Amino acid sequence: MSTINFAAREINFKIVYYGPGMSGKTTNLKWVFQQVPQDRKGEMVSLATEDERTLFFDFLPVDLGEVKGFKTRFHLYTVPGQVFYNASRKLILRGVDGVVFVADSAPNRLRANAESMRNLRENLSEYGIKAEEIPLVLQANKRDVEDALPVEMIQAVIDPEGRYAMHEAIATNGMGVFETLKAVSRGVLSRVVAAT
Amino acid sequence: MVEPAIALYGAAYEKSMAVLDELLRESGARYALLLDRKGFVLAHKEALWAPRPPSLDSLATLVAGNAAATQALAKMLGEPRFNELLHQGSTHGMYAEEVGELALLVVIFDSSVPVGRIKLYGKRAVSALEGLTKDAAISPAKMGIDTEYRDGASALLDELFGN
Repeated sequence: MSTINFAAREINFKIVYYGPGMSGKTTNLKWVFQQVPQDRKGEMVSLATEDERTLFFDFLPVDLGEVKGFKTRFHLYTVPGQVFYNASRKLILRGVDGVVFVADSAPNRLRANAESMRNLRENLSEYGIKAEEIPLVLQANKRDVEDALPVEMIQAVIDPEGRYAMHEAIATNGMGVFETLKAVSRGVLSRVVAAT
Repeated sequence: MVEPAIALYGAAYEKSMAVLDELLRESGARYALLLDRKGFVLAHKEALWAPRPPSLDSLATLVAGNAAATQALAKMLGEPRFNELLHQGSTHGMYAEEVGELALLVVIFDSSVPVGRIKLYGKRAVSALEGLTKDAAISPAKMGIDTEYRDGASALLDELFGN
């Protein structure tokens, strides 16, 4: 859950980008890092292999600004998507306030999307969190790939009940990246208020 | 929610700062930080003589990630966790010790200081900080974030990321 630091007058929220391997989680963060002005962001930390596959996590702090005297910050994390990295993926979810699920639109990754969503639910439940309890936003990424699957089809697989908002994106050129981040941030803020 | 938040402020914050300050003075270390397990900095102190520290957010995130990973390792070995972590390079060292369930103390020092001294004063600081962080743990429901705050933050989101 969010951390409030009254001394520094800071409120921090943790947002995690989840999804199957190569779906574009790191690319989302890189776009945010590129576009956010210097004074509103910290350093981006990437723990990746030589071929730039995320090994442990990527991290990016973004300063929203001051609200009611409190500096509000979002800490953005990605997880390593590859199936065999589950032990480290689970660690990143600790204390999460909101999740962006980045799904891959390529037809041959449909199953990987479904598996990753199942894995997200399992990992959350190990922390005693139901997926329904935390703000979750879906992103259908790579809308520019040839024969990209219809958004409805992807949603039917990862969110059969149609419970979550779905955003279309092309993270490499920034399309949909901010929209997704804004949606999850709003969800996080609403939830803290609702809990009060 | 599942994990309580630590709200360190007022007298408890001042006391924590005093503990960190004393730790630096007694041990000769460069930087001392109190983090929560999620990687947020709760309090930090730098020795006056020390050069500017690296990005504290990055540092805190990596230490918390590292501590989480070693805790997972400890569990595999049948330990609930490793209480202390020590990393030493040729000129710099880092000592991290858990402060109760929710926080971590990190001490960064250079080769002019013996590790034993860091550990000794580190442990002393931990026992002082343990009570402080325990008392500062609150249920997030009491954080006092209201709709006015949410609307303000929401407006800033639009400003930063466009409508």
